[in-house]
Amino acid sequence: MPASYKFKKDEIPGLLGENELASFSARNSEIHPSQERFLLMVNYIIRRLMLVPLLLFGVTVLIFGMLSFLQPVERLALYMRDFPKNDKAIPALIAKYDLDKPMYVQYWNWMWGKVDAQGNRDGGILFGNFGYSRSASQPVAELIQRRFPATLELTIWAVAPVVLVGIWLGVQAAVHHNGFVDQIARIFSIIGTSFPTFVFGLLLLMIFYANLRWFPPGRLSDEFTRIVESASYHRYTTLITIDALLNGRLDIFWDAMRHLIMPILTLSYINWATFLRITRGSMLETLRMEYVTTARAKGLPERDVIYKHAQPNAMLPVVTLAGFSVVGLLAGAVITETVFNYPGIGSAAVRAATSLDVVAMLGFALFDGFILIIAALVVDVLYAFVDPRVRLS
Amino acid sequence: MRKLFALMSLLVIASMALAACGTPAAPAAPAEPATTESSSGTTTQPSTESPSTEAPAASADFVSKDPTTFVVAQSEVGIDTFDPALAYDTASGEILQNVYETLVFYDGEATDKFVPQLAESWETSADGTVYTFKIRSGVKFHEGGDMTPSDVAYSFQRGLLQGGYSSPQWLLAEPFFGVGNDDITMLVDEGASADDRDALSANDSAKLVAACEKVQSAIVADDAAGTVTMTLAQPWGPFLATIAQSWGSIMDKEWVVKNGGWDGSCDTWQNFYGMTSADDPFSTIANGTGAFKIEKFANGEEIVLARNENYWREPAKLARVVLKQVPEWGTRFSMMQTGDADLATVPPANRSQMDELVGAFQTYDAATNTYGPTQEVCSYNASALGAEKFTACAAGEAGNGKPFLLRIGRPGVAMDVLLFNWNIATSADSPNPYIGSGKLDGNGIPADFFSDEHIRKGFAYAFDWDTLIDDVFSGEALQPYQLTLPGMPGFFPDTPHYTFDLDKATEEFKLADVDHDGIPAGEDPEGDVWTSGFRVQMSYNQGNVTRQTIAEILAGNLSEINDKFQIETLGLPWPAYLRAQRAKQIPLMTGGWQEDIHDPHNWYQPYTTGTYGGRQSLPDDVKDQFKEILNRGVAETDPAKRAEIYKEANQLYYDLAVGVPLSIVTTHGFAQRWIEGQILNPIFSGAYYYTISKK
Repeated sequence: MPASYKFKKDEIPGLLGENELASFSARNSEIHPSQERFLLMVNYIIRRLMLVPLLLFGVTVLIFGMLSFLQPVERLALYMRDFPKNDKAIPALIAKYDLDKPMYVQYWNWMWGKVDAQGNRDGGILFGNFGYSRSASQPVAELIQRRFPATLELTIWAVAPVVLVGIWLGVQAAVHHNGFVDQIARIFSIIGTSFPTFVFGLLLLMIFYANLRWFPPGRLSDEFTRIVESASYHRYTTLITIDALLNGRLDIFWDAMRHLIMPILTLSYINWATFLRITRGSMLETLRMEYVTTARAKGLPERDVIYKHAQPNAMLPVVTLAGFSVVGLLAGAVITETVFNYPGIGSAAVRAATSLDVVAMLGFALFDGFILIIAALVVDVLYAFVDPRVRLS
Repeated sequence: MRKLFALMSLLVIASMALAACGTPAAPAAPAEPATTESSSGTTTQPSTESPSTEAPAASADFVSKDPTTFVVAQSEVGIDTFDPALAYDTASGEILQNVYETLVFYDGEATDKFVPQLAESWETSADGTVYTFKIRSGVKFHEGGDMTPSDVAYSFQRGLLQGGYSSPQWLLAEPFFGVGNDDITMLVDEGASADDRDALSANDSAKLVAACEKVQSAIVADDAAGTVTMTLAQPWGPFLATIAQSWGSIMDKEWVVKNGGWDGSCDTWQNFYGMTSADDPFSTIANGTGAFKIEKFANGEEIVLARNENYWREPAKLARVVLKQVPEWGTRFSMMQTGDADLATVPPANRSQMDELVGAFQTYDAATNTYGPTQEVCSYNASALGAEKFTACAAGEAGNGKPFLLRIGRPGVAMDVLLFNWNIATSADSPNPYIGSGKLDGNGIPADFFSDEHIRKGFAYAFDWDTLIDDVFSGEALQPYQLTLPGMPGFFPDTPHYTFDLDKATEEFKLADVDHDGIPAGEDPEGDVWTSGFRVQMSYNQGNVTRQTIAEILAGNLSEINDKFQIETLGLPWPAYLRAQRAKQIPLMTGGWQEDIHDPHNWYQPYTTGTYGGRQSLPDDVKDQFKEILNRGVAETDPAKRAEIYKEANQLYYDLAVGVPLSIVTTHGFAQRWIEGQILNPIFSGAYYYTISKK
């Protein structure tokens, strides 16, 4: 058995018994260990991918199940842009769209759409028809398409400071356990956890916008918005910062970044507290493990002990947290987007919810469900990278 | 370690306190006096450069960052529709009055004087029933089409034929079809198919064609002569006022047809009748002749109006108007402070924050019916009310140099009224989400809950006007006793009205008979509203803190009467609020009315037989009583006789407690000091941007 494989076994002491390991290696004796790991990973990813359609089906059933709590006239909004002005027309429309039929018939219509004798289709989420949002005066799919780039852009720029800085702070707190750095970090964490997002956001707004005038709210200044929306400007990705770089417009890039800094700072500060606490706790637990003591006893430099031996194992709970934090960001940072007037998907979802725009709410729920499933897949794959036990099991 | 914690905590708290006490930055203002703020208020160090004259020193010359773009930070940008035939809310009206144009328009700030706009001139027949408009030539629509008399006639015909009962077309229908005929369906089947396109279409085609031909014969274009002749069913004093508003906007017939609208044929008009704004192709696009055209429309986000460079008059001074949705007040306030917004929605609860930054003010002068001259502010007293907060500078004294101009004290032309839905729309198939269980079980209300007169009176006596006026409006509002405004025929300062009286409210609730068993609730052994209680939602349009507070005042007082009386407050975005009202689903609401025309008919008609009467599901017998009075009122020309007729309406409205007039607000409006040329006509829907410029 190659030495490298032995090392892997050492890394997961007690998980696989000798017999299991022998059986496993016998089956794969003709394959190089690196290929073997790759195949295991591919196998794992394929298995996870096969689950995705099933999960998506589950999400649609769940969301449609919620619809069953609504009355037929409310479900009418799935197919019609607006209620007729006269109530007398409603019963005929309920019958037309089978809203008085069993739920499985309605589910099928919701998924596939209601096709009339002329072949015209109303609804049908499989065809991208999520209905018409009354609160935004446009189809839900278009609304998501219009708002999501802003949220995606915020997520892209926020994820590094949120996750990496949060982890770094947690590691530092753990390494300097009960020291000055740890105490500062803990105060920081307590404030971050207890500070309401909107208060922190407004505080930033007052300091950095109203007083210093450095970072304005919104997504882009009006003068640059006109340029970005003009026909001569190429919108490669609809992400303003990326498009600005691709168009060679550093002024637009900087203006977009000025608008992003306060939302990023708010999201970071609120999330750092959680990352800091989880990472710190996990690191402290890991640093007490015997293999870390062994590593130290072997005379490894402390830096290697912390970053090469302890930190990777301490990251397991953090990966999960990171995955779902990204999902949270992608689903829209509701309060942050509202305070900073950032036109993302979170503020649109709130508007839909507060206007009882059922169709748009369902669209957002489906979209969030989809993101959650994809994010869960990514987290699982990352887990498999970080923790070999996952892909071997 | 404890010391360390204490030190860190102090540092954090101190940094927050410093941030909170930061001096708000004034907009770019060269040579403005230096200002410092302390916890005890504002002190001003007069600029050494202030000229020493007998008159109050001129303010610093406030200059905007971008004089070509006008930014309005609104709590909500929720447009119902851009279709002039259907738009009947102030949010849509503001866009329409800047994008579309009418034949005549208001003369400055006057609400009853008019100047030519798309009409060059007009003549009226001796009997007052025929108006002949000479149509302006050389006017182009935004998309390049020529505006012709045919477009004018088509626009009016289209509105009358397809507006429907829930649209503003009732204002035009009555002069053209006669009093009480407030919808085209009245000409077809006595209004039986009102707002029901299918039912209308099911009528005999000859009837449908006849109705359409009647409309077309009443409004006739002569392209060769360049005129449009309008023949009314009867003399109608406020006719010019009626066509000066957005529903009198002129559309391009060719463009409408090209975009799927009515082609002008009397065989097809019924297919376009009573459209909802979501199904109407013209609810999201516009093509007018106005000084601005729509550059960007993102409902719930922002609307951008761009200057019409081919305008028939001199193009507007502003190149662009941006209406931004900024739901958070703190953000809007910051935008005003930095000068990034020229105007902003300021909830009454937040006025004091803005008041502190007022550098000049104008108070309303009733004698001239306009605001007086601008006065520099030299001191501010936060504990005073209204205009008394501000002390004008004496001769030679320099102002505080602060950035905002305040206009204060003008009674508005709008009134909030508490409205009860007498027959709430609900059914077994589609239960109403706003009435809980829909039963008298303490967890909801039955659909006919408010048809009980004593319930309505109980609610009326439970409302506390003083709290509303003092707490919400800081004393800057009036309790209206009737539906007319001061200065109109039919306004009587001593008319009967409800006052806050919880004992009387209790009495009324005990007299109610919601379960219809003939026994008053206070004595009913089987239980009624007094023992079961109720739960009902009171809606308001989101961001409207006043209406939210009205609901909360009522909720608090009712729970004081009986802890089983529960009102839940629910904020809805404007379009959703409007739609739910139109669907007659909202059981209890605050209805706001900004007069369309300055006439008592425009107040009594909507609140009894028209728009709100419909949304309140008033029974026919009640509507008929009002209709009889109002018909006499609008046909009478003698103001003294009209006053007596509308006095009857006052009494009936009070006796039946159809609704409860809540407040008329006096103005308290802020603007940046670099804004010039704004016409402050109270009847405008929002701002009229054509005349506005920025320094």
